[in-house]
Amino acid sequence: MGIIIAVISGKGGVGKTTVTANLGLGIAMNGKKVAVVDFDIGQRNLDMVLGLENRVVYDIVQVMDGEATLKQALIKSKANDSLSFLAASQTKDKSVLDSLRVKNLLMELKEEFDYVILDAPAGIESGYEHTIEFADAALIVVNPEVSSIRDSDRAIGILDSKSQKVKEGEEVAKFLVINRIVAEMVQSGEMLRSDDILEILSIELLGKIPEDKGVVDASNQGKPIILNEKSKAGQAYKRIAGRITGHNIKMEDVESNTTSFFTKMKGIFK
Amino acid sequence: MKGKQYSIKVYETSIDEEAEFVSFFDANHLLFKDHLIVIHGEMSEKIKQYLQQKSLTFIQNITMPVSKSRQNIRKAREAEKKKQDEEQEKISEEISKLSNRLENNLKVIDRMVRSGQEVFVEGDLLLLNRVNSGATIRTTGNLIVTQVVEGSIRCEGKFMMLSSSPKANIIFHGVEVDTELLENKLNRIELTDDKIVITPVLKKEINWAS
Ligand SMILES: Nc1ncnc2c1ncn2[C@@H]1O[C@H](COP(=O)(O)OP(=O)(O)OP(=O)(O)O)[C@@H](O)[C@H]1O
Ligand SMILES: [Mg+2]
Repeated sequence: MGIIIAVISGKGGVGKTTVTANLGLGIAMNGKKVAVVDFDIGQRNLDMVLGLENRVVYDIVQVMDGEATLKQALIKSKANDSLSFLAASQTKDKSVLDSLRVKNLLMELKEEFDYVILDAPAGIESGYEHTIEFADAALIVVNPEVSSIRDSDRAIGILDSKSQKVKEGEEVAKFLVINRIVAEMVQSGEMLRSDDILEILSIELLGKIPEDKGVVDASNQGKPIILNEKSKAGQAYKRIAGRITGHNIKMEDVESNTTSFFTKMKGIFK
Repeated sequence: MKGKQYSIKVYETSIDEEAEFVSFFDANHLLFKDHLIVIHGEMSEKIKQYLQQKSLTFIQNITMPVSKSRQNIRKAREAEKKKQDEEQEKISEEISKLSNRLENNLKVIDRMVRSGQEVFVEGDLLLLNRVNSGATIRTTGNLIVTQVVEGSIRCEGKFMMLSSSPKANIIFHGVEVDTELLENKLNRIELTDDKIVITPVLKKEINWAS
C-alpha cells in the first residue's frame, strides 16, 4: 500500500508542476513505483513537462466516468519505467470531481504504486480541496516571497481542517520545498531567508531549490531538469527525492554564494 | 635545543559525503596547498590516497589549541544563552502573574493561527503561538499572545499582553493601537479610566556591540 502526496502551494506559478514531475522521476530513479497525477483539471500541464503530451489517450475524468480503465489511462514515462502518469482532462472543468470518485481512484492507485503524487491546481478552491482530501502527506512549495508564504500558510490551514486524515484525528505530514532561491538576493537581504520562512510556516524543511534558467528549457523540452546531472536545480531535486525515499542527505546550501567565490578564486589560478 | 615557530593556516573539516569532499578539493586544492587540513571523524583509505595525490598536507582527529579570540567567541555565546534563559524565565513569571488575572472562561490555544483562520473567544484567551499575516483573533475578554502577531486582533477585555509586533493590526475597544508603541519585547496594554496605557514588561535589549 503506497502513500499519497499532494503537491500544493496556494499561490499559482510557484513550481508545483515542476516539483511533481522532477520528484516523481527522482523517486522512480530510486527504484520505487511512482504514479504522478495531474489534478489541475482543465489546465493540463504535467504531460508537457514530462514530455508525454502526444501519448495521452484517456484522462482522469474518463477513468472516473468509467469510460476507460486505470490501466488504459496510465502512461509510462520514457525516461523511467517505474514512473507512470495520469493526465488531467483538457475539456471538462474541475466541478466534475466529487469526493467519492476521487477516493475510489486514489485507493486503486495506492494499491498499485509506492508513491502517488498529485499535482494540485493553483488556489484553494474545490479543485485544491479534492487534491488534499485523501492525502497522507503534503509537499508545500513556496517561493521566497511574502505573497507566496502567506498563500501557502492559508493552504496549510485548510489542509489542517479539511483533510480526511485530520477528520479522523490523525495528522497529514507536511514538508516544505523552497523553490527559486537566488543566493545573491538572499545575501543582499532582498529575498527572504529560509529560516524566516520556516519560522512563519513552522513545518519541516524538505529541500531548497535554486533559481535555474535550465528549468524552463527542460520543461519546454519535456525532459525534467533532474535528468541533467550538471544543473544545480537538478541536483537539488535528486537530494530531495533521496530524502523522500528514506536516505539521510545533508541539507543543501543554496543561499550563500561560497561556490561562486571559490569558482572566482579558481579562475585566478588558471 | 633549536626550534622554529611558524604560523600556518589550518582548514578544519569533516567528511560527510566522499563525493562532495572530493569534488570540493578537485575544484579548490590549489587554495589549500599551503594549509594544514585537519579532518575530524572518519576518513577512508581512498580519501587519504586522494589527498596525498593532490600533495595536500593533512592530519586526522587532533584537538586544535583554542586561541584567545575563539575563547572569547565561546564566552560570548555562553553569556548570550544565559541571558536568553533569564529572559525566558522572566516572561514565564510575567505570564503566570497575568494569567492569574485571566478569569472568565480562560481558553488556552497553543497551535499557530494561520492566514485565513479566525479564532473567536468569548472570555479570556492565552495564545502560546504565532498569529500569522491574514489571521484574526477576537476576544471579548483579556488576551495574552506570547509570540509575534502579524495578523489582526480585536480585543474587548481589560488588558492585553503582546510582544513587539510591528506588522500587526490591533484594535482594542474599537481603537487602533499604534504598533510602533509596542516597541518593547513584551508590552502590556490596558484600559485605565477610558485611556489606553501601554507599559513595557520586558525592555528591548540594547546591543552594545553595534
Ligand atoms: N527552480 C526554478 N528556476 C527557474 N524557473 C523555475 C524553477 N521552478 C519553476 N520554474 C518555472 O516557473 C514556472 C512555473 O512553474 P510551474 O508550472 O511548475 O508552477 P505551478 O505552481 O505548477 O503553476 P500553476 O499554479 O499555474 O499550476 C515555469 O515556467 C517553470 O519552468
Ligand atoms: Mg501547475
